[in-house]
Amino acid sequence: MGMNILCAVKFVPDVDRVAIDVENIAGGFGNNRAGRSSRMILNPDDACALAFALGVKAEHPEYTVEVVTLGPSSLSPHMEDLLRLAVDRATLISDADLDTGALTSRVLASYISTRPFHCILTGSHSLDGGSARVPVELAEILGLDQMLGVTGIDPDRFDTMQAVIDVAEERGRTTYDMAMPCVLSLTRESGYRLPYAKLTDMRRDVSDELIVVSADDSGVQPLTTVVNRYPKIFEEKDRQVVGTDDAGIEQVFDFLKAKGFLSI
Amino acid sequence: MKRICIFQDTDRPGSTPDLLGAAERLYGEGRFESHLVLLNGSGDAFFGHFHHIHRVADGLVAEYDPRGITEILETLHQNLGFHSILIPATGLGQMIAPRLALRLKTGLVSGVTDIKHGSDGMEIIRPAYSGKILEGIRFMGAGSRVMSIRPNAFDHIPKDGLKTLVSEYTAPVTNRSGMNRLHVEKASMANDEPAGDIRDSHVLVAGGGGVKEHFPALVELAKALGGSVAASRKPVDQGVAQRSIQVGQSGKTVSVRLYMALGIHGSIQHLAGLRQVDTLISVNRSGHAPICSLSDIVVQGDAGEFIHKLMEKISTYRSGNKGR
Repeated sequence: MGMNILCAVKFVPDVDRVAIDVENIAGGFGNNRAGRSSRMILNPDDACALAFALGVKAEHPEYTVEVVTLGPSSLSPHMEDLLRLAVDRATLISDADLDTGALTSRVLASYISTRPFHCILTGSHSLDGGSARVPVELAEILGLDQMLGVTGIDPDRFDTMQAVIDVAEERGRTTYDMAMPCVLSLTRESGYRLPYAKLTDMRRDVSDELIVVSADDSGVQPLTTVVNRYPKIFEEKDRQVVGTDDAGIEQVFDFLKAKGFLSI
Repeated sequence: MKRICIFQDTDRPGSTPDLLGAAERLYGEGRFESHLVLLNGSGDAFFGHFHHIHRVADGLVAEYDPRGITEILETLHQNLGFHSILIPATGLGQMIAPRLALRLKTGLVSGVTDIKHGSDGMEIIRPAYSGKILEGIRFMGAGSRVMSIRPNAFDHIPKDGLKTLVSEYTAPVTNRSGMNRLHVEKASMANDEPAGDIRDSHVLVAGGGGVKEHFPALVELAKALGGSVAASRKPVDQGVAQRSIQVGQSGKTVSVRLYMALGIHGSIQHLAGLRQVDTLISVNRSGHAPICSLSDIVVQGDAGEFIHKLMEKISTYRSGNKGR
């Protein structure tokens, strides 16, 4: 039996490569409008989720992989790139007319509820928010089970009925059996990597294949929080600089001794 | 008087006092009625510390089932009308808090690390953008609030003396998750297994990407200093160190007397995990690494050489003292 895998992904500012300017971050919106002038990348955890889906599809060509994202129309080239990676269907839900009171999860759920799927794959944390709330909310709205922190999915036990997954927890690695349909949220620790597009695919014009829909704003609800943003400031210290020569080691040793860390 | 509900993650009971500390920051010590919800165990350790302990009856719901636990918290809220519900920002807690906030149609702040009171009212602080900025969030209106609290972000000085009422929660759970825990496998790494939780340690010897091959030596140095080994994200990603000892935005938040950072550059994501550090010694080839500006002593040079020489010095000192 074929399987429909739906990947809900997010494009985020590349916070490791660009400076985040708190003045230019709009607040209160789940799929925030931060850094839209910044370089945008597929959120790393989400990329792992999509990579797993494409890996399964490579083994089972009859399976379908659909990608959906919410954001501005400027994300179209990024979504077209995903179509060049053997994604069967890519949908951009345009947020142009969306009220800032809309919950990302409600808008996504409204669209996803119209699509056939056996499993929804997402990332766990996003680089910009990091709260991991959207995949959980998505599952809650759709009435599904959900698991965060997935570091591995057994490809031999991933079908329309069940998924056997590994999750990194404090105690170590825990294996769960999840009933389908469900939402599985992967982390970068999974190590799943997106394939490279074939040269012929890179040249393929897929602009007609990308589906762009307007967001259903039925997810608008009164704002319950107001967000302010501040740069993080660390207190600098007057420091001593030493080397690894005998004098430097002696200084560190004396310091540790004076502070009581070498008591016998 | 405000009513606060605190949920205890069975896998991380040590975070419960942190949440009590957060409650004190929210409403002031002694100015709220505290309710603890726990799934396993008697809760004896918290007698005298909470006004109410709600024990969920055995077998009602699996300790790892976020949907079932959410239903229990929702039902308790409907019966008791909590002003705030605090949930540890553990893996399980992160799967409960958003579900609960949606069901209660209320605001949620995730991964809270601080609470500030100003002229504009109370602001709930959480890191965002991989720890590069802080978000200050104010709730609007007087409704209930749901917050997930980052473990080890708040202090609580244990004080008992309250008369604790214990009740058993027995209402049937109708909406459980369709998941089963098959098995738990403790991770094993090349270096020694960490003893206990790094958040409980007063001394941490932390290794970064620059000391990948020296992790066994870090264990020895940590032992010599009466502490534990921690790591930045890089050696964890490389499979050299366990995820459970990772400090930082995607790891743990620590408060220690001594933090010795070896071969750690000090990305803002790593520094986000250093809540309170009395003394910081960094060892780095570059004297301009971000962590250097926060250090009491910067050792510029090779971390492996530093460990070897310092261990030699400590051994000589200790063997000399033993003979006295």
